[in-house]
Amino acid sequence: MQIPSLETADEPPPVVKRLSAPERRASFIDAASRLFAEKGFHGVSVDEIVRVVGVSPAVLYRHFASKEALYQAVLDELSCQREDYVAAVVKSDMVFANVLREMTHVFMRSFIRQPNLLKMEMHSQLEGNPATQEFFKNRWKTFTDYIEFGLGELQNAKEIPPIDTRAAGLMYQGMLREVLLTKCLQATDRFDDVELEPLVDQLLDLFLKTVYCAEVA
Amino acid sequence: METQFNVEVDAVGLNCPLPILRAKKAVKDLSSGEVMKVVATDPGSVKDFEAFCNQTGNELLSHEEEAGKYVFMIKKG
Repeated sequence: MQIPSLETADEPPPVVKRLSAPERRASFIDAASRLFAEKGFHGVSVDEIVRVVGVSPAVLYRHFASKEALYQAVLDELSCQREDYVAAVVKSDMVFANVLREMTHVFMRSFIRQPNLLKMEMHSQLEGNPATQEFFKNRWKTFTDYIEFGLGELQNAKEIPPIDTRAAGLMYQGMLREVLLTKCLQATDRFDDVELEPLVDQLLDLFLKTVYCAEVA
Repeated sequence: METQFNVEVDAVGLNCPLPILRAKKAVKDLSSGEVMKVVATDPGSVKDFEAFCNQTGNELLSHEEEAGKYVFMIKKG
């Protein structure tokens, strides 16, 4: 139920549209994702969020226990779902390169849908908030763990030359993050002629060529 | 009574999507009706194996958690 604020007799409370609980929750997530993307976790107060949504803080706390809980809900809402990775694996032929490509496409599509996610990650890096950093770290860990493990298996089977699998994971993470920044956030004309997906595929091919056959002299 | 199984997959210490990959490899060698046991430690694996079974037509007979380990029994469809 909506409780209008009754601060002064001569200032009528703002008229707030009555929304269902899921609609109200969605309105908080929508407003908060824009604000967190522009200003980071620390740069946004609960007061600012409720002002944008047009309700009192009490309404927000009925849906989210804290600002942290709202931030987590925004991340859960924006980021790709684990089911999507499961689907990518299920439909794959289980070949390392193909699974990596499918996973990368799932990940990439979540950023195309939600560029705010990338901005929130950048803010999180600068703010040093352990809780938010942990979330983003885990998102990349899905890739780095898979690369380390997958390349380790290929090495054991002598299908690829010896390689530092941990460094390879980092190389891939850096490459993918940079291409997302270049295509989704930065106003650069250097890669204007290439769409994100073919560019990601091109970099993935370069990565695979390196790990499959490069022997450093 | 404990469920009997035909193959066991150790996915301890592995994160998404590695337990699913291992399970997919193992289930390929089973015949319809045979059971695979999967042991994992990733808390997200509960959701993952529910999705895996929904998407593959295999049946999740049970899942239990004990001392940070998740044990799944999956019957091949």
